[in-house]
Amino acid sequence: MSGWWRGTRLVFQRGLLENLRSKSFRLGTAVLLLISAAFVTLPQVLGQGTPTYTLATVGRAPQQMVTALRAAGEAGRFTVRFVARSSAEQVQQTLRTGDATVGLAGDTLYVSAQGAGTFPVVVAQTLVSLETAQRLAAAGLTPQQVAELQSVRPPSQVTVGRVQDEGRGAVGFAVGIVLYMALLMGGSAIATTVALEKSTRISEVLLAVLRPSQILVGTVLAVGTATFLQILVLAAPVAVAAQVSDAVGLPSVAAGDIALAVVWFLLGFGLYAFVYAACGALVNKVTEVNSVTLPIVLALVSGYLVAILVVMDDPQSAWSVLASLFPLSAPLAMPLRWASGEVPVYQLLVAMALTAGAAAALVSVASSIYRRALLITGRRVRFREVVGTPDGH
Amino acid sequence: MGLEVIDVAHSFGDRAALDGVSFEVVPGVLTGLLGPNGAGKTTLMRVMLGVLDPVRGEVRFDGRAVGDATRQHWGYMPQERGLYPAMRAGEQVVYFGRLHGLSRSDAERRAKALLEELGLLDRWGERTDKLSGGLQQRLQLAAALVHDPEVIVLDEPFAGLDPVAVASLSESLRQRTRDGRTVLFSSHQLDLVQDLCQDITMIDRGRIVLQGEVATLRGSSGRRQLRLHVSSPNRDWLLPFPGVAVVSDEADELRLAVPAGLDPLEVLDAARRAGPVADFGLDLPTLSQLFLAAAGDGRDLAGVRS
Repeated sequence: MSGWWRGTRLVFQRGLLENLRSKSFRLGTAVLLLISAAFVTLPQVLGQGTPTYTLATVGRAPQQMVTALRAAGEAGRFTVRFVARSSAEQVQQTLRTGDATVGLAGDTLYVSAQGAGTFPVVVAQTLVSLETAQRLAAAGLTPQQVAELQSVRPPSQVTVGRVQDEGRGAVGFAVGIVLYMALLMGGSAIATTVALEKSTRISEVLLAVLRPSQILVGTVLAVGTATFLQILVLAAPVAVAAQVSDAVGLPSVAAGDIALAVVWFLLGFGLYAFVYAACGALVNKVTEVNSVTLPIVLALVSGYLVAILVVMDDPQSAWSVLASLFPLSAPLAMPLRWASGEVPVYQLLVAMALTAGAAAALVSVASSIYRRALLITGRRVRFREVVGTPDGH
Repeated sequence: MGLEVIDVAHSFGDRAALDGVSFEVVPGVLTGLLGPNGAGKTTLMRVMLGVLDPVRGEVRFDGRAVGDATRQHWGYMPQERGLYPAMRAGEQVVYFGRLHGLSRSDAERRAKALLEELGLLDRWGERTDKLSGGLQQRLQLAAALVHDPEVIVLDEPFAGLDPVAVASLSESLRQRTRDGRTVLFSSHQLDLVQDLCQDITMIDRGRIVLQGEVATLRGSSGRRQLRLHVSSPNRDWLLPFPGVAVVSDEADELRLAVPAGLDPLEVLDAARRAGPVADFGLDLPTLSQLFLAAAGDGRDLAGVRS
């Protein structure tokens, strides 16, 4: 076994070094870093973090209203501008031209048809609140009593969906998305590496020294590590921004759920990576990799759709249970089902064992395909040829 | 003892690629595996290296069946180049050395010495795909020899090389054979390598058609030709040799086919007794002529290049 690891480690080290040195890795990582940084900074640069609303009034807005709306703006992360007009018609005209969000003339509140958000409600509440305060003071209440009455707040709202635990649900989603991205980036890199070894006949030299499983596991580990590094690069600016400012909100997640997510990611990546490797061995030219790996992408997307459409809808239905146990969809479906909080632990363990078992079986199938398919060149290898009888090609 | 191939058979589907092939490669004797394209040379080498499993037969080394652990110390150079295009030349050789079990420092030391020997040391840091075809071929050889293998197997190492490269590669192989290594190479360019091999095994359509020591095979062949420059037109002195056939008799040059079992010197002596002999020579058959004789008349020379 130590000999097996030694050879696998050498393949892994070489593959990782070549990956990290390659132009496509450097370029890809730079693009990912830019995307991630843009995701964090652009909303603030474009001012979408603090929207600005404009209130048009007939004559200058009363000072009390200005003070109250500015305070509401600070609490609700928006800025309020005030414009004065001479008549109700002019106030409406200002709204029509898009120069104001909300207009106030007499007892009427004019609301722009676009982008008003919750601002009209805020203005209306402020008006009601100011009027109520005036009437309460006129009725003889002290300012303290008025303030006391106005501090009454409605109960806070919490949205309740099918998923019981919001943090877990987010983790389930994230595993799916990250796995999909990682396989989109890493999967074709694995298939390309294997196809390159075949088309350049390096495989023949390697097979004289190494077993196919060593070559495949080493290659998958190398590309997997490089892909994982890229995901870290993508995630780092978001994580830093979430720590530094609270403008980027991430749901709080328990460490256990994160650990579970990592396990599912590794299982899912391992499983699909060996399918990609086997497909890479079937092609004759590196340029054919994309067409031969298309079915894998379809399987991955279907798995994700099933997870979102079927499992999210009813985590306890028979189809959901099946999807969360079947190896090709389990890494996508089980984390989402687990978030419902109604999955017995034994089902989680069975799903993990099935996925890990399938990945291990795929190493053996992919090795067999690698050994046989690599000696057939000059044409695309049919799948039947490499899984048939051992003495035939 | 050396390397023994015993009754090896392999087939691709219904087509038999090798049919009961047996031969031996002795340490210190440079051995050629010769035959036309498609004869089964590459399949045989792949079986020897464990890349393919034979349907029948086995490969032994020093009397023992060969396993993965033994093969790890062998050196193999495949017919088509097998190098990582983006890797630097030196790193590539070090990598293959380490795959064959060398430590990093040993692999680096030997890679440097070998690239020096092959005139590639100044290309250590260059990307492999930036090297010319000839240099890549030498790099491939370095990758096969870096761990100083006991057994060296090279598939068509001379294909596509210019005469200078052929001479340099031949010298590398001779040197390792003199050092007692077991060296086997294949070629379809029979006459190119006839001066290099000491022993040959010729195969055609998966079967052995001729094997043995090159000098003996050529010398004992019935296809030797005695060339004589004689001034006298009288040919009566040939009468005591009924087996000798006249191939050509033009001007003063006479060409005679000397059958196996007859010493050409006896014919020469008879000619000298009959009159003055200005010049003479004995032409041994080329390996491609031997191949054609052994493979049967049905063969043409399409796959054999001289």
